[in-house]
Amino acid sequence: MATASGGDEFVDKFPDEAAIIKASFLIAFVSLGIGAFFGLIQALHRTNVFRVIDSADYYTVLTGHGVLLAIVFTIFFLCGVFHWAVARSLDRPAESALFSWAWVGLMTTGAVLATVAILGGFVPNLGMSADVLFTFYAPLQAHPIFYIGLAMFIVGTWLAGADWFLSYRAWRQEHPDERIPLQTFMVLTTMIMWYISTLGVAVSVVFFLIPWSLGLIESVNPLLTRTLFWYFGHPIVYFWLMPAYLLWYTVLPKLAGGRLFSDPLARVVFVLFLLLSTPVGIHHQYLDPGIAEGFKFIAMTNTMFLLLPSLLTAFTVVASVEHGARQRGGEGYLRWLGALPWRDPAFTGMALAGAMFAAGGFSGMINAGMNINYLIHNTLWVPGHFHLTVGTAVALTMMAGSYWLVPQVTGRKLYSRPIGLLQVIMWFVGMVFMSNAMHRAGLAGIPRRTAEPQYQNFEFLTPIGSIFELRVQIALGGTLLFLSVVLFLFNILLTSLGEESDRPVDSYLPEPLSGPEGSPRILDNLTMWTGIAAVLVVLAYTLPLAGIIQNGGGLFGGGLPVPATVSAGVDLVLTTVTSAFNTLWGVVA
Amino acid sequence: MKLTKAQALVLIAISVPVAIELRTVAGFFNVELPLIAVAVIEFLFLALLFVLYGLYGEGSESAA
Ligand code: HEM
Ligand SMILES: [Cu+2]
Repeated sequence: MATASGGDEFVDKFPDEAAIIKASFLIAFVSLGIGAFFGLIQALHRTNVFRVIDSADYYTVLTGHGVLLAIVFTIFFLCGVFHWAVARSLDRPAESALFSWAWVGLMTTGAVLATVAILGGFVPNLGMSADVLFTFYAPLQAHPIFYIGLAMFIVGTWLAGADWFLSYRAWRQEHPDERIPLQTFMVLTTMIMWYISTLGVAVSVVFFLIPWSLGLIESVNPLLTRTLFWYFGHPIVYFWLMPAYLLWYTVLPKLAGGRLFSDPLARVVFVLFLLLSTPVGIHHQYLDPGIAEGFKFIAMTNTMFLLLPSLLTAFTVVASVEHGARQRGGEGYLRWLGALPWRDPAFTGMALAGAMFAAGGFSGMINAGMNINYLIHNTLWVPGHFHLTVGTAVALTMMAGSYWLVPQVTGRKLYSRPIGLLQVIMWFVGMVFMSNAMHRAGLAGIPRRTAEPQYQNFEFLTPIGSIFELRVQIALGGTLLFLSVVLFLFNILLTSLGEESDRPVDSYLPEPLSGPEGSPRILDNLTMWTGIAAVLVVLAYTLPLAGIIQNGGGLFGGGLPVPATVSAGVDLVLTTVTSAFNTLWGVVA
Repeated sequence: MKLTKAQALVLIAISVPVAIELRTVAGFFNVELPLIAVAVIEFLFLALLFVLYGLYGEGSESAA
């Protein structure tokens, strides 16, 4: 494990890697700034507090917000963190700096193309727009540039993963018998999951959406593109979360003054996410008529299994933090909480992000339940939920982590810790207001994704409080969140303009309390886990996809969709298998 | 134990969700808490926190 002390900082040891990480973070933070500004516009617009755009432009803003924050910001930051984690934990630079710049370049070009297409929506005579929201499935259609940009972006992430696998292979040749260092293990399992799940969206973009937007094919099967999107749309949630988990498992305990509780448990959690995160995507389609109830039920049970690694994480991370507090002299059942380093914005931000993630987990269980989902489907409850998860657990952890990571890759001391602390606390309070009110508004039936959420001759009723209060809370929360992002960007900008420092931050990471020796070797067998993950995906998706293609009028749609039943899917597979068998038999006999 | 400024800030932050959801909790016991009551309770909590900070806060141990 790399131990940095004295002049042995990350930036001195791995200057090429530090440059790649800085570039990734820069693009992430620019996207964060623009995305947050769009968020503010939405929060004020749909609550009718202050309107600067025409309601007709709302979808353009919303698409920009979703794509820039949920895709560009999170994934660029992830690439920076993963690049850092692999170099640090393998203690070796990437195989080729040129290759690393290639994926940064490809991802950046893709992101810029997609963003240009989205912003084109503000200029009607340009004839270019991409008001398709970050979920971009048919029947909404974007300019081809948008899909081409997305495809480049995704191929860029594939190359990034290849970069890390190449580092790992080179390391393995020199260390044939060692356990995979924990951080690299986390990066590799996450990337395997990403390869499996992005296949779905790549097929959807390359075979259906690009030809369709270019006019090469007349129609697509909307349910098919939706299903392929959600096949990747749930695992992407874990692609956002895994960098946050990596920081919670390997950095947060250190910041708290202790060590990770258990390395083997962390490995189990990542393997479980690899296995379970893809075969659940249908839980986003409980209300899609073209998918049989039985498949939805299977997706629901798989989803409930995903609770296990999340609860294991909660246990391990809290135990590690408590251990840290006790190392610092904390005592009592709860009084140890006072011994934690609350002054440190990196610690406090991650701790608050973790606390909000717990709340997001509870509202997520409501979303996952097939029957209660009907109550909140497509209401403001849903953005309420994911602003706690991706919008806070992930985004706030990324911002807090930056207070510790940016000094390491720039060699400069953080500009201001008090401003950092204020910033993370402001995010927490702002998100409490906005997200709590969104959940409540959703329960009252207020829809999401609309500039004008009110209906004529219809009144939304709240059990407690009034709709007016909820609107004020959303607007207030959104404003605090935006100000928090401004403080963050300001702090990071001044940090990177600051003086070089010999020891900008204590970057040493201690060994876990229970090390990797204790974990069964089979956990490191990545080939086997990949195989099992692939089998689970095939089991979960073959029948539903067959049914969707059959009932939705074929691969390219066109026919009238018919309500689906499990038996229709089974019939299709049976006929296909029988005819294949008969053909084969004919050849043999 | 000494109350630091950072701890006081975190306590304020945590009090916000508790205050917001206080009406739901009261609702479980069939108590209808008006918004103004919640505001008063939160205000009292903040006042208490400032008093505690004055007594045990960082600045109070000036001699040490
Ligand atoms: C300044 C902070 C933020 C504010 C004020 C804000 C505000 C909002 C609002 C009001 C909506 C709902 C719009 C509607 O359904 O009509 C929304 C949607 C959304 N937000 Fe945020 N948000 C912020 C930060 C974030 C972050 C950090 C992320 C992710 C990393 C994020 C991801 C999303 C996504 C994915 C949507 C859904 C877009 C869609 O429905 O297509 N937001 N946001
Ligand atoms: Cu999901």
